[in-house]
Amino acid sequence: MKDGGLENKKELENSKKQSKSSKFRSKSDDFALAIAKVAVAQVCESVGFQSFQHSALETLSDVTARYIYTLGKTTNFNANLAGRLESNVFDVIQGLEELESGLGFAGASDINRCLAKSGFVRDIVHFVGDAADVRFAYDVPRFPVVKERKGMGSFQEKGEEPHGEHIPSWLPAFPDPEAYATESTVGNGTTSGSDGVKTGLVRIERKIEWPLLNFQQQFARNGNVGDSSCVGGDSGKAWEVSNSNPYLAAPLHFGEKEVDVSPVVLPTKLSNEVASRDPVSENRFVGNHVSVLETFAPAIEGIKSGMCEYSSKQKNVLYNQRPTVHFKIGIGKKSLNTAPDFISKNKDLQKIAYWFENDNEKDDRKRRAENFMKESMECSQEPGQL
Amino acid sequence: MNPNPQSSDGKHDDDSALSDFLASLMDYTPTIPDELVKHYLAKSGFQCPDVRLIRLVAVATQKFVAEVASDALQHCKARQAAVVKDKRDKQQKDKRLILVMDDLSKSLHEYGVNVKHQEYFADSPSTGIDPASREE
Repeated sequence: MKDGGLENKKELENSKKQSKSSKFRSKSDDFALAIAKVAVAQVCESVGFQSFQHSALETLSDVTARYIYTLGKTTNFNANLAGRLESNVFDVIQGLEELESGLGFAGASDINRCLAKSGFVRDIVHFVGDAADVRFAYDVPRFPVVKERKGMGSFQEKGEEPHGEHIPSWLPAFPDPEAYATESTVGNGTTSGSDGVKTGLVRIERKIEWPLLNFQQQFARNGNVGDSSCVGGDSGKAWEVSNSNPYLAAPLHFGEKEVDVSPVVLPTKLSNEVASRDPVSENRFVGNHVSVLETFAPAIEGIKSGMCEYSSKQKNVLYNQRPTVHFKIGIGKKSLNTAPDFISKNKDLQKIAYWFENDNEKDDRKRRAENFMKESMECSQEPGQL
Repeated sequence: MNPNPQSSDGKHDDDSALSDFLASLMDYTPTIPDELVKHYLAKSGFQCPDVRLIRLVAVATQKFVAEVASDALQHCKARQAAVVKDKRDKQQKDKRLILVMDDLSKSLHEYGVNVKHQEYFADSPSTGIDPASREE
C-alpha cells in the first residue's frame, strides 16, 4: 500500500508539472503553440476583432491545436477501421462530420448519404470562396527538427577486419588502441597520454567518446582488481588499486597509510612553512610535494596542443597527484589563532595576505578577546560546578 | 448494391466536384500554416503523403476558428449594445472590439468546449456564482 501511495504522489506531481492539460501540452510543444497563437490571431483579425485578451487567445489557440489533433486521431481511427494504414479524404470528411455533429449540418440525418455530397464539404467550399486569402505572417521552418546522429562506423564501413571470427563485421568498430592503452598504466599518464593524443590528431570527434570509454574500462578493470584484493590480494596490488581508483581500494587499518582527501592543490611554500611550525598548532597542511608548475603542466600542454579532451586527461592527472592532507583534531580549549601569524611571515603569500589582512586583524583581535572572555568564564564556572 | 445510372452519374459528379475542390485548395493558402497542421497530425498518428488532405484539414480548422470568433464577436457586440450607460463612452468604446474570455467561453460552450475563466479574488459581489444564474 505504501508503494501505491508513493506512485500516486509521483503521478500527481507529474500531472501538475504538465500544467493545465493532462498529456496534450508538453514543454516541447511550446513552439507549435506559439505559431498557433499567431495563426489564430490572424484569423480573428480577419473576422473583425481588433485586440485580444492574452488568456482568451491562449485558450482559443489551445482549442485549435486540440481540434487538429482530434481530427487527426479520428481520421486515423477511421482509416484503421477500414483496414488501411494511410488515411483517405473520406476518412477526413467523416472525422469532420463527427466533430461538427454537435452543431449539426445539412444532411446529417440521411443514412445513405454520400460523403462527397456532405453538407459540411459544401460549407467548406463556400467558406473558401468567401474568405479572403490571408497568408500566415511568418515563414515557418520544418519542425520538429530531427538531429541526425552520426554513429560510429561499423567494421565494414571502416574497412577493418574484426579481431576475431566471433565478431560480425556489421558491428561498430573498436576505437583506436592508442587512446585507451595509455591510461591503463599508473604514473605514466601525463607523458605517454600526451604523445598518444598528439599522434591521434586525425579523428577528433571520437576522442571525446574515448576518454569516457577509458574511464569505464579503467573502472571496470579496477573493479575486478578491487574484488580480488578484497578477497585476499597482495599489498602491492592494493597500493596500485588505491592509486588508480580510491573508491575501490581495500579498507585501510589504523595507522597504515595517510588518507588522500582534498583535491585542492596548495602551493608548496605554504605547506613547507606550516610543517616547520610549532607542534601546538591544531591544523596542519603537510606533504604537498607537487609544485604549482607541475600541477599545471598538463594544462599548459593541453592548451598548446589544443585538444578538447584535455579536461578529462587533467582529471586523471589530478587523480594521481593529490596532495596529502593531515588533520589533527585537537582536544582542549586552545583557540585557533595561528592563521595570521605564518601568513604574514611568508613572503610569497604576502599578496594574498594583503587582501585579507585588514579584515583578518580586526576580526581576529575581536575573536581572541571574545575567546579569552569565554575561556575565563568557563574556568571560573568549573570550580563552581565542582 | 445495384447503383442506378442516375445516382452513379450523381456520384461521379460529386467525386469530380470533390476532386476539383481539392485541386482548388492548392491555390488557396489557408492562414493556418501547413507545418503546424502537419505537426499535430503527426502527433495524432495521421499518415498521408497527400498534401491536399493537409490543406483540407487546415481549411476546416480555419473555418472552425472563424466560426467561434464570429460567435464571440456577436456576443461582444450584443453586450455593447445592451449596456448603454454613457452615450459618449459607448460611442468611443464601440470601435474597440476585444476578444474577452467571457464571450469566448459562451461561444465555445455551443461547440461542446467548456471553458471557465478563473475569477479574480472578490472582483465583484457575484464572484464564484454559477454563470448561468448570473445577470449581465
